[in-house]
Amino acid sequence: MKRRDFLWLLGVISGSAAMSSCGSPKRSAKFTSYLLPPEEGVVPGEASFHPSTCTECPAGCGVVARVREGRPVKLEGIPGHPVNDGGLCVRGQSSLYRLYHPERIRGPMAREGGKLRPIPWEEAFARVAGALRASREKGRKNLFLSGRTTGSLSRLADAACERLEVERLPEYEVYSHAAVKEANGLLFGEREIPHYRIEKADFLLTVGADLLETYVTPVAYTRKLSSARAGGDFLWHHVEPHMSLTGADADRRFTVAPGREPLLLSFLLREVLERKSPKIRLPGELLAAFPRTTVEKVSRDAGIPPESVKEIADRLVAARRPLLIAGGISTAQPEGLEVAAAAALIQWAAGAIPERVDFAGGENYRNVGTLRDMEKLSARMAKGEAGVVFLFRTNPVFSLPPRVAFRENMKKADLLVGMGEFLDETVREADVVLPLSHSLESWGDVEPRRGVVSLLQPVLPPLHDTLSDGDALLGLLGKGSGSAGGYKNLLAAAWEKRLGGAGRNRLLEKGYVEETLPSRPVSLDGKGATEALRSTGPASGVGKPVLFLAPSIRTFDGRSRILPILAEIPDPLTTITYGPWISVSEEDAARAGVRDRDEATVASGDWKAVLPVKVQPGLPGGVFVLHRDALPAPPVRTDPRTGGPVERIDGISLSKTGKTVEIPILSGSFSQQGRGLIPDPVHLDEERRHQRWTLYPEHDHKEYRWAMAVDLGRCNGCAACVAACHVENNVPVAGTADHLKGREMSWLRIEPFYEKGEVDFLPMLCQQCHNAPCESVCPVFAAYHNPEGLNVQVYNRCVGTRYCSNNCPYKVRRFNWWEHRWPTPSDRMRNPDVQARGVGVMEKCTFCIQRIRAAKDKAKDEGRKVRDGEFTTACAQSCPTGAIVFGNLLDNESGVSRLAHSGRTYRVFESLGTEPSVFYLRGKKP
Amino acid sequence: MAEPMVFREKERFLESLRELVRDGVPRERIRVITPFGVPEVEEILPGKRSKVRFFALLGAASGTVTGFAFTILTSLSWPLIVGGKPIVSLPPFLIIAFALTILFGALSTFLGFLLLSRLPSPRGIRSEVEYGNAFVILVEDGERR
Amino acid sequence: MGNAERYAKADRDILAAMEKPGRAYLAGLAFTATLTVIGGILWIYQIRNGLGVAGYTHPVNWAIYITNFVFWVGIAHSGTLISAVLYLFRARYRTSFNRAAEAMTVFALMVAGLFPLIHLGRSWVFYYLLPYPNQRQLWVNFRSPLIWDVFAVGTYFTVSLVFFYVGMIPDFAIARRCKEGIRKRFYQVLSLGWKGTEREWRHYGMLYLFLAAFATPLVASVHSVVSWDFAMSVVPGWHTTIFAPYFVAGAIFSGTAMVITLVIPLRKAMNLHEYITDDHFESIAKIMLFTSLIVSYAYIVEFGLAWYGGNVFETGAFRYRALGDFRYLTWAMIFCNSLVPLSLFVKRLRRNTTCLLVVSLLVNVGMWLERFVIIVASLAHDYDPYVWGTYSPTYVEVGISLGSFGMFFTLYLLFVKNLPVLSITEIKEHL
Repeated sequence: MKRRDFLWLLGVISGSAAMSSCGSPKRSAKFTSYLLPPEEGVVPGEASFHPSTCTECPAGCGVVARVREGRPVKLEGIPGHPVNDGGLCVRGQSSLYRLYHPERIRGPMAREGGKLRPIPWEEAFARVAGALRASREKGRKNLFLSGRTTGSLSRLADAACERLEVERLPEYEVYSHAAVKEANGLLFGEREIPHYRIEKADFLLTVGADLLETYVTPVAYTRKLSSARAGGDFLWHHVEPHMSLTGADADRRFTVAPGREPLLLSFLLREVLERKSPKIRLPGELLAAFPRTTVEKVSRDAGIPPESVKEIADRLVAARRPLLIAGGISTAQPEGLEVAAAAALIQWAAGAIPERVDFAGGENYRNVGTLRDMEKLSARMAKGEAGVVFLFRTNPVFSLPPRVAFRENMKKADLLVGMGEFLDETVREADVVLPLSHSLESWGDVEPRRGVVSLLQPVLPPLHDTLSDGDALLGLLGKGSGSAGGYKNLLAAAWEKRLGGAGRNRLLEKGYVEETLPSRPVSLDGKGATEALRSTGPASGVGKPVLFLAPSIRTFDGRSRILPILAEIPDPLTTITYGPWISVSEEDAARAGVRDRDEATVASGDWKAVLPVKVQPGLPGGVFVLHRDALPAPPVRTDPRTGGPVERIDGISLSKTGKTVEIPILSGSFSQQGRGLIPDPVHLDEERRHQRWTLYPEHDHKEYRWAMAVDLGRCNGCAACVAACHVENNVPVAGTADHLKGREMSWLRIEPFYEKGEVDFLPMLCQQCHNAPCESVCPVFAAYHNPEGLNVQVYNRCVGTRYCSNNCPYKVRRFNWWEHRWPTPSDRMRNPDVQARGVGVMEKCTFCIQRIRAAKDKAKDEGRKVRDGEFTTACAQSCPTGAIVFGNLLDNESGVSRLAHSGRTYRVFESLGTEPSVFYLRGKKP
Repeated sequence: MAEPMVFREKERFLESLRELVRDGVPRERIRVITPFGVPEVEEILPGKRSKVRFFALLGAASGTVTGFAFTILTSLSWPLIVGGKPIVSLPPFLIIAFALTILFGALSTFLGFLLLSRLPSPRGIRSEVEYGNAFVILVEDGERR
Repeated sequence: MGNAERYAKADRDILAAMEKPGRAYLAGLAFTATLTVIGGILWIYQIRNGLGVAGYTHPVNWAIYITNFVFWVGIAHSGTLISAVLYLFRARYRTSFNRAAEAMTVFALMVAGLFPLIHLGRSWVFYYLLPYPNQRQLWVNFRSPLIWDVFAVGTYFTVSLVFFYVGMIPDFAIARRCKEGIRKRFYQVLSLGWKGTEREWRHYGMLYLFLAAFATPLVASVHSVVSWDFAMSVVPGWHTTIFAPYFVAGAIFSGTAMVITLVIPLRKAMNLHEYITDDHFESIAKIMLFTSLIVSYAYIVEFGLAWYGGNVFETGAFRYRALGDFRYLTWAMIFCNSLVPLSLFVKRLRRNTTCLLVVSLLVNVGMWLERFVIIVASLAHDYDPYVWGTYSPTYVEVGISLGSFGMFFTLYLLFVKNLPVLSITEIKEHL
């Protein structure tokens, strides 16, 4: 072409290219991931891990927070932590929802004209300081009430109270274990709960103590039980008056008539003294409190079959390293002191102290007061003695019985200062609200038991205008009023002093420090105990039928009920999600003519409540159970001897109102209906492992074939795995309306199956079948089998015909019926590695494919294969018993490979020919 | 064009037609219009069987081939394992092939009909000449009787 | 009356239906159109908010929409049976029904085809179900029964539409002669310029024969394919080989019932007693009775499978159907489908149009219930007892279902006024 034309063409091309690169402002407003980090230390796309401690309940399990883009998205237990050793319970996994809860208090507030209005921190502290001065001048007492506080915070609180001339009241916990502490105090001079070394025992007898649910440090006990059982030489008997998850997991469970535990324990004490430890002598008067009795009498009065009584006694006597733990509702009865004292004496007589009952490493419950302390407090406030009352991380208005009149008397104080995270029943009555940061936003330390220091460190800057616990106290002292950083320096100095530089570095790096404590010998002092036991014996007889206020694994004492996920996850025994209910035995239900969901009035004296019924197999007749959080302000009496709550209400009557209440009971049937989901007890005899003749070609797996083994002998139904899965995979919370239609979203569920009053739990998740019925019916290939043996779901491709869910015999596929929205700031909680699913697509367990990918990528970078145990799925990681094992089936050395070929292994609905990749191991019943 | 012979009765019409044929009028010059298909006309004026049947056969055969080829080739182009089934799963592909056999066969037959009948015919659409229920014989130009 | 007069009278009588609409007709049309619009609005509401507004529960993921789909596809089959199969058998009595039946087929398929779209979680990407070349190089899963549905029902609709149209070409020629104005233009175009030459008739005859021959296997195969949506799954209560013949018989059964339901009022309203006689109805009633017996046989077979099979899942599914949450529907279904049609053994009842109308309405209800019970009751209680649930529809599903009936009857009413309701040409042929 001619040169002129060429230059003209060139000009046109380059000109248009230059012009087209001018984007319109609208086009540039696209969502793009970070290329440059938004702040210091944040590497986009990469996770960092920081140790801290879970504060959802007082147990103090160590957690490591996985932080992405400056916000924590998952909590996992710290392997090797002296409390939880890598496990984390259902509440601990859910505590992330607390951090991002939309209802957290956003800033300090003060009551003006009857309503709470936001004020700045300086003004808040000034008001408090002013009120403190004023009340001192008036001659009133300023009071500080908190929940159980340990470590540096406790010491700071003491110091602050001293400086401000505030009286520090005994700490208030609903589960104060008053009877156990009282018994230990009277007998051994240690008003404390000892550290129980279950892992060192060969026979454990628990009386009422719900070790797996809420008792003191449940994850630790669960881990210990698991490791003791793995050792092979371990037996666990559980005695309780009702039905609990703990009892369901024990090797043998015995039902005792309510209030009759002392009879059994008296018998056992005598047996141990005579047959096992004849050399030990107890003071005669003390022993008289536990009269000699016979098997027949115990059996008759305590309602345990005589052969069972003998069995327990024989085992206890024969055991070389026995351990007995009493607690929970057995010690929260009018006979609680007898139960706790007898248990302590048996521990003493059997030689369990101090190897297995360690007071040196006590669980730091010394400063926790009782219900009687709260009664006294309420009386003082009623008399107008109270000036400024600080309510620090405690909710007495919710949990105290109405007769204490705490709320009314509280108002008589000059100034109420509420310090907490939410406007709960107590804080919303306050005059000044000082909001506290979540533990993941704070510096601090926790001493879950003596000898263990666990770190609290912030993994993100506070989401709202809140202060950490320590900084708030410092603010009250006028130090660095409102500005963070003061407590951090104080802590650094305290750690340096107490642990030394190396210790402090270890604390910051690993998240915990464990000190070996000198052993602390205890001696038995019978006098005080004898007095107490003789003074006011339990009221004659038990007014059957009785109602027990049992703790809830989902909400502890009710404090965790604000977390939406914990209402979403079903109660393991009843599979009820939303709504209170009352558990009724099959016998009583038949008598009253009530069935599940029938509304009934339960009354005793002048207290009554109207609740829907749930029939609970295994619950003995004459016993009803309510969870602690089912009713606000339950009618709890105070035990005159221990000061603790009596969580048993006698003289109960139940009558139906004739209405039904729609509560979501997720289980369609408590019975296996003869289908062999858990073959032991055997319904379907699947023993024959015949060679399957198939028309289908074998799959070709090159390097990895992912599989999972679930040991039903270890699984206790605690649902920690369910919560972990929810958090890891951004599974939405569906709510009551959807639950009533069975539309729960959880990818993993725990199915309880009852047989003759005994329950087995089956965790059911996507079986990643090799001949998956769901894959072949999807018209658009949204479900297909990947070369590593996973059944993958392609969300983008799914059109939502739901044929796959119909064809799944395990019904593990969940459909998004709605566009689930996450209210801010909880939308920041989502794991960025997992795709969000829109409306109309099917989702299901993916064996945490995002973790598989990440591990494979890392291994590829290092030029090797993924090692067994290098990573695992969220559910397997969180399980406190280690029931779930995940790995590569092609690797003969892997854990899952060995378990898949054990003698106990079976697969669910194997006869359908789906070839699942999840292998279940039948439980061993001794 | 000769005068059309319009009959109101079928029998009379058939008689006339037979007469015409007996009189030796060439077959190609006789055009018949009837309100409905009259089988006797076929006997009197024999013609070749309609070629529409070839369209049917061709359509059906191509349907079968397409059915199998399409399904097999697309399955092989991205071999995804579903339910452990073989990539070339003939039983389900047979159903697709069956459906396409019928579909292509029917459409092809219809197309063949349109082509062979020279329909749609714009002249016919706009024509004002309507014979209604009458039976008509048209004799083309040529030898006049 | 000579033949010519009879032919002219036939033209007049049948085309009289296509005159100006009366008040009753307009009221009916308004009613059905309103139902259709309400259904449409509810569908849009459902798309906006998600399928959560429907009554689906877990595990019942398919309910009323799929029931409607199978119901309407089933009804379509009887039209093809009457048009195509009876043509091949040279059954004379078909001529009085076959146009109405073919129209019923086409409209039923149009309505049926909407339901797979309505029940999709993401209706807006429905085209993923069609094999079209795309940049992701993705094709559809031909192993899935739902894709078989796409092909089978798609083929069926196309072939039925062609068959319907082809049958009307000579009648359009008649209509263009007898009508004026814009309608005349309409019929002129639709008639393709048909003259009726012997060449045209020769090709037409072969075309019609071949179309009938192609459509005949569709009668058996399409509903078999639809039944395989269920039979090819593992769900107890679905996974059984009896389904294909069971559903085909059921389809013809419900279809003939719908034909009777439609044609009895049609005959009355259009005064077509001369052309649609009680003899014709009796023949159709015999088909209905016959297929009812086959359906009853299938019920007995299912019971036998559950009883003798020893498969705990199968037995459980059957027990739930008979004694569980949906037992009233199950018993109603058996009453309507197995017991009520037995009355047709009595000749007098067969020839009584009131009785026939009542029986056909009950059969329609019974067959709808049968699909519902099969789908919902089998899904509600399948393998894992933990997941057992139940189902009840919401107003959205009920509204959309009523809308579908509205759409069908709207189309049918429009057909009655605008297209010849009887095959005039064939009637004349047999006069």
